[in-house]
Amino acid sequence: MTVPLARRQLLARPARTFAGLAGIAVALLLVLALKAIFAGMEQRLTVYISRSGTDVIVAQRGVDTMHMTESALPAGAVAEIRVVPGVARARGILYVPTLVERDGKRGLAYLVGEQGRRDPGPGEIVVDRSFGAPVGSTVSALGRPFRVAGELEGTASIANFVAYVSFADLARVLRSPGVVSYVLVRARPGVAAGTLAARIERAVPQVTASTRERFLRSERRVVGDMSTDVVRGMILVGFVIGVAVAGLVAYSATLSQLRDFAVLRALGLRASRALSLVLAQVAATVAAGLALALLLVWLLGLLLPQLSPSLAAVVRLSDVAQTAAVATVVAAVAAALPVIRVARIDPASVFRG
Amino acid sequence: MTGITSRGRVPIAWRQLSAEPAKLAVSVVAVAAAVALVLLLTGLRRGIGEQVTLYLDHQPPVLVGQEGARNFLSQKSVLPEALEARIAAVPGVADAASITQQYAMLRLHGGRVLAVLIGYDPGRGGGPWKLAAGRAPVGANELALDRVLASSHGLRVGATLEYRGVSLRLVGLTSGTSGFMTPLAFATRSTVDALARQPGTATFFLVSPEPGVAPEGLARRIDRAVPGVSARTREALAAEDRRVFVNAFSGPLLAMVAIAFAVAILVIGLTVYSSTAERSREYATLKALGLRKGALIRLAGVQAAALALAGTLAGTLVAFAAVRAISAVAPRYLVAVTFESVALIGAGALAMALAAAFLPSRYLSRLDPASAFRR
Repeated sequence: MTVPLARRQLLARPARTFAGLAGIAVALLLVLALKAIFAGMEQRLTVYISRSGTDVIVAQRGVDTMHMTESALPAGAVAEIRVVPGVARARGILYVPTLVERDGKRGLAYLVGEQGRRDPGPGEIVVDRSFGAPVGSTVSALGRPFRVAGELEGTASIANFVAYVSFADLARVLRSPGVVSYVLVRARPGVAAGTLAARIERAVPQVTASTRERFLRSERRVVGDMSTDVVRGMILVGFVIGVAVAGLVAYSATLSQLRDFAVLRALGLRASRALSLVLAQVAATVAAGLALALLLVWLLGLLLPQLSPSLAAVVRLSDVAQTAAVATVVAAVAAALPVIRVARIDPASVFRG
Repeated sequence: MTGITSRGRVPIAWRQLSAEPAKLAVSVVAVAAAVALVLLLTGLRRGIGEQVTLYLDHQPPVLVGQEGARNFLSQKSVLPEALEARIAAVPGVADAASITQQYAMLRLHGGRVLAVLIGYDPGRGGGPWKLAAGRAPVGANELALDRVLASSHGLRVGATLEYRGVSLRLVGLTSGTSGFMTPLAFATRSTVDALARQPGTATFFLVSPEPGVAPEGLARRIDRAVPGVSARTREALAAEDRRVFVNAFSGPLLAMVAIAFAVAILVIGLTVYSSTAERSREYATLKALGLRKGALIRLAGVQAAALALAGTLAGTLVAFAAVRAISAVAPRYLVAVTFESVALIGAGALAMALAAAFLPSRYLSRLDPASAFRR
């Protein structure tokens, strides 16, 4: 007959055990939440290209991103791209960061004007719903008034949102006749995006053509490259706090169970078995803490967009794996103190005092 | 510390805390890490706010952009360069210099590095104000780059950089121009205009007032005299840039700070609760000897407050040490930890102690004094 000692010891003081795993969970949440928030930012920043239905994005040579990026191509490039074999459609766009204002409220927007698009019409604008400018209202951008002709959903990030105006309006305001920022290309059925991108680069000078997937990867890397150091710092702090909390929980639990361990040793429990009991308790607490952290970050993902439409948290498998790795190291380091304490127990102590 | 006798006072709270020094140390470390995290994150946010106005801080007091321009960094502004003469002719203007400014997403070592590229006219204003090496750009396709950014990518004077299909030759390294998101790079205005395919344009005009002319009044005068422009004081543009950049970080930052506070509260609560529960017999004895409920609750409160304060002190020291380390190892990050934020953390620590004392206080108030006599 076996006695589930580790479980019983853990459940002997449920409030303390729960507080302990909650502590570990929030420490791991520090790592997970930041990564989820950055992943959410990456997702929102790529929403325009993700939704564009384009296969290949053509930009000025050396440019393969949009966020905080400048690109300028001669408008003639659009015609040159259209005649490349395999191109079904090529549309130039103008793309600029600007402030959209309404009744003293200001929001940063990426203003896009697409060639060949009928809506919005001249003097009209389509803005993200999060900005709070209902259809029919007037906003100003680049020093000009625009009438709101429609609303978009889900384009707002912590930095800005997407808004559309007519290509002609934007070209006039930007004093950039004969220039487009990017060319969005749709491939003919059966033509691979990679092949088409290579063909466009060969046919049109001074451009970089990226498949949508490659372009989106580059966009995500913009956030990734900028946030790497901050994320690393957060993982380090999360690790330190995780180790401290897990160690504290394990050590406190072990202290209160010293007498139990002495009794077990006196009854014949081997030292190695006693140590594995401690390790099992630490591992179980950290594993439960990780599970709770995952639950919390999932809740955060639901809660954040309710608090602010510009915030999103996206949990990626790779981030969960990394946090699990951190948790494993946390458990191993945290077990050190209680293991030393239990290893030193004298079984005879149970008969004293 | 709470005492129990009328003659001698017994520092029970301190004895409880110090009975297990290893546990005490681990608790303080955990609270300190949480406090340091809060200080560093809020300091990074403040630092970003200070760094984004680096360029503006060194420019004349009035800037003129396209109508509707309210900030310098996050909004497109395009004006014909011919307006420079019209602005210079406005009474009270001593000088107006054209610049073209834009974000430059540089590709260095396979990574994306964001910089703010300033195009200026050599011999006029708006160029680099301090050179660490080399010279300021004067010819086509020449570039001066922030020293910290250049050194972190092994770039020296004479190196070349591919940007938007053009080879730019590094002719100078600038100092005092570093930033986490907005390190500065300089080229001639004609170079930047050519990259953007917008010759004959400028994004802003840097306006120096004549002696005795107030910047606010001059900005209003330019607004009235020149159609299609927005004249703003340097301070107004800087405040808007700070607002845009700092606000973008507020949401994630608040989430992180809330989590860090939750960690600290849990750690303090856990430490005090576990030491209280372990000594329940002793507390029951004290209760049986006549120690009142209020005094017992105070015991838990004092332990929680001591841990919170010790953690805050240690965390503050760690944060200041980290700030020094960051400025030495990664100078592009400016972490501005102020005494104001330390004071706020101190107030937060007291709130943490109050919250953390709740569980052990409840436990103590429910403790049966008779349990002291049971085995």
